[in-house]
Amino acid sequence: MLGRGVKRKWSCLEEAEVVSEAAEDKQQHEDEDGQDGLLDPSRSDMSRLQQRQLVLGLCLEKLQRYQAGVELSLRRSVLLINTLRQIQEEMRSDGVGSCDVHPDSCLLRDDFREDVTVTCPGCSEGESPPELPSQEANGSDQQKPPAAVSDAVNAMGYLGDLALDDIFEDIDTSMYETSDLPSAWASGSLWPLSVSLWPDEDVKLRPQSHSTAGSLQSCLMDLNELDHIMEILVKS
Amino acid sequence: RWHWEGENLACLNSNPPEQIYGVRYCSMTGWEQVCRFLDPEPADLSMEEESDTRKINNSFLRDHNYATEADIISTVEFNSSGELLATGDKGGRVVVFQREQESKSQPQRRGEYNVYSTFQSHEPEFDYLKSLEIEEKINKIKWLPQQNAAYFLLSTNDKTVKLWKISERDKRPEGYNLKDEDGRIRDPSTITSLRVPVLQPMDLMVEATARRVFSNAHTYHINSISVNSDLQTFISTDDLRVNLWNLEITDRSFNIVDIKPANMEELTEVITSAEFHPQQCHTFAYSSSKGSIRLCDMRQAALCDKHCKYFEEPEDPSTRSFFSEIISSISDVKFSHNGRYLMTRDYLTVKVWDLQMENKPLETYQVHDYLRGKLCSLYENDCIFDKFECVWNGSDSVIMTGSYNNFFRMFDRNTKRDVTLEASRENSKPRAILKPRKVCVGGKRRKDEISVDSLDFSKKILHTTWHPHENIIAVAATNNLYIFQDKVN
Repeated sequence: MLGRGVKRKWSCLEEAEVVSEAAEDKQQHEDEDGQDGLLDPSRSDMSRLQQRQLVLGLCLEKLQRYQAGVELSLRRSVLLINTLRQIQEEMRSDGVGSCDVHPDSCLLRDDFREDVTVTCPGCSEGESPPELPSQEANGSDQQKPPAAVSDAVNAMGYLGDLALDDIFEDIDTSMYETSDLPSAWASGSLWPLSVSLWPDEDVKLRPQSHSTAGSLQSCLMDLNELDHIMEILVKS
Repeated sequence: RWHWEGENLACLNSNPPEQIYGVRYCSMTGWEQVCRFLDPEPADLSMEEESDTRKINNSFLRDHNYATEADIISTVEFNSSGELLATGDKGGRVVVFQREQESKSQPQRRGEYNVYSTFQSHEPEFDYLKSLEIEEKINKIKWLPQQNAAYFLLSTNDKTVKLWKISERDKRPEGYNLKDEDGRIRDPSTITSLRVPVLQPMDLMVEATARRVFSNAHTYHINSISVNSDLQTFISTDDLRVNLWNLEITDRSFNIVDIKPANMEELTEVITSAEFHPQQCHTFAYSSSKGSIRLCDMRQAALCDKHCKYFEEPEDPSTRSFFSEIISSISDVKFSHNGRYLMTRDYLTVKVWDLQMENKPLETYQVHDYLRGKLCSLYENDCIFDKFECVWNGSDSVIMTGSYNNFFRMFDRNTKRDVTLEASRENSKPRAILKPRKVCVGGKRRKDEISVDSLDFSKKILHTTWHPHENIIAVAATNNLYIFQDKVN
């Protein structure tokens, strides 16, 4: 039986080169410095911003990516999440956050749709998200698809929440969680950014929120009833 | 043992006949290159080039004919005497090579390695609770020092460690009473006399049997195993825990390190590798994804959450980037043979640490600094997460690690000289000297240099091993194994 390997997209190397070219042009002239475009403030600010946007998008894309039936590497997830946090910190300190629409208000918008929100390249390409029946009484009858992660995602993956979690506080989800599964992030810890990688049994419906400057993405999960029941049976 | 099946060389040791991926011998820089292809009829090595009369088929060495993803080598390890070399692959197989006895008649063919045993160590499994496959890929192999005629090794995939016994059988009993030579049961009424079975010589058979299976102790992926110098215990390490086992006991293990936070949201660091000290049986070290190493003493407490020593180099703020943390993640940690130093490998460098000095490494070697400007691309194509291993030579004077484009690097700690070599068929001809390679970073590219943009990032050398006493190294390049040895004057 063949093992499964991760496919490397060699061609992406060239695409990425173009985008971060400005930063790397600098690099070729100053080899020994080893920085990613941090030298010249005026010129590199823009390229750094570009690079940050690129890295942000890639982070999200990678965190959402999964291989059916194969566990994700915890080390990789942790490194990606830490990079995401770092970018978010920077965005926050740059004052980017202030441009954001408050997440709660997004819920109330009637025309709240997926195509309004996404700036993340990976998500906007639409990785055929699964259909999600609306399970919770949040008053929103919008379907929020963009889950690239299905319930086959490893329990070791990370979970993230928007500040929107407050809205769902009254819903008891303790029975969905096990000691081995990562539970939801504290709400607001990653605001305005959120990433959800749910374990196979867990599900919550998360309306999307968006940001004008940065990229926001919240991922939604199917509830696999069978897995869920299995989990409860095993626990008891 | 060998025969040709069409274009492929097959080994009759196992049933069904196994196919062996390319094994070639070359030599290191400055020394004579001894090239030998696996051949059922040993050829005269004084020949300068292959001739048609030899049964050498170059298609054997092409890796696309029959090589599949399962053939990708995932670990290589010499045993403690250097007599055996084990490789594990993605398909869960272990292939063990044995060094042949040196022959006086052909001194230039000093002890070359032949396939000794091949067996399926791990099979793919399915975790029904999580609906996930457990890969059969062999992550690590560690040998036990030899204590009798048989050889023992530990092999592990993501979840289960197994102890394998490899033993030879060259006699078999003949003359059974109840069955005849073909194994058919004899009709008891035809037996008129009794005889005692006698041991008769037979063709050498090497068999591998699983003696212990150490399972169900790891929720996360096992990244390393290490045998203790007491030869009674070993540790297995996953992303968050280190477990201590007794080699005789499979249903119990002791958790000695646990960095799992109560709240998984707070997890920011994982364990990447762990190893026992080569002489002190109570000391071990583990490395993290944040670039730190912790040395622990098992005598202090049952749970070694408090480290004895903490090794970390403060970050240089001028080189900080989005990728700083990722490239600081340590992919391998190895004690020196003398037990005084630690070596760590992160994405761009190899560092040697003095166990007595925690605040900075003793030495830092740049493996491929020209990649520093390409980190964004390497992040996109995931290469930045590649985990390279590093290895000491027997005298702790030279360290070696792999890179991309099938390059590998050696650093002489005394002379501070370093060399880049390439494991590639095209560059390895009989009796030729292996040429040092050089990557040019911008500016004019000299002849024979290769530019950074031409590097093939799909050809990475992650796994290497060094003979414990001699200058013989084994290098895994995807699904090909290269064994290099130096020339004897």
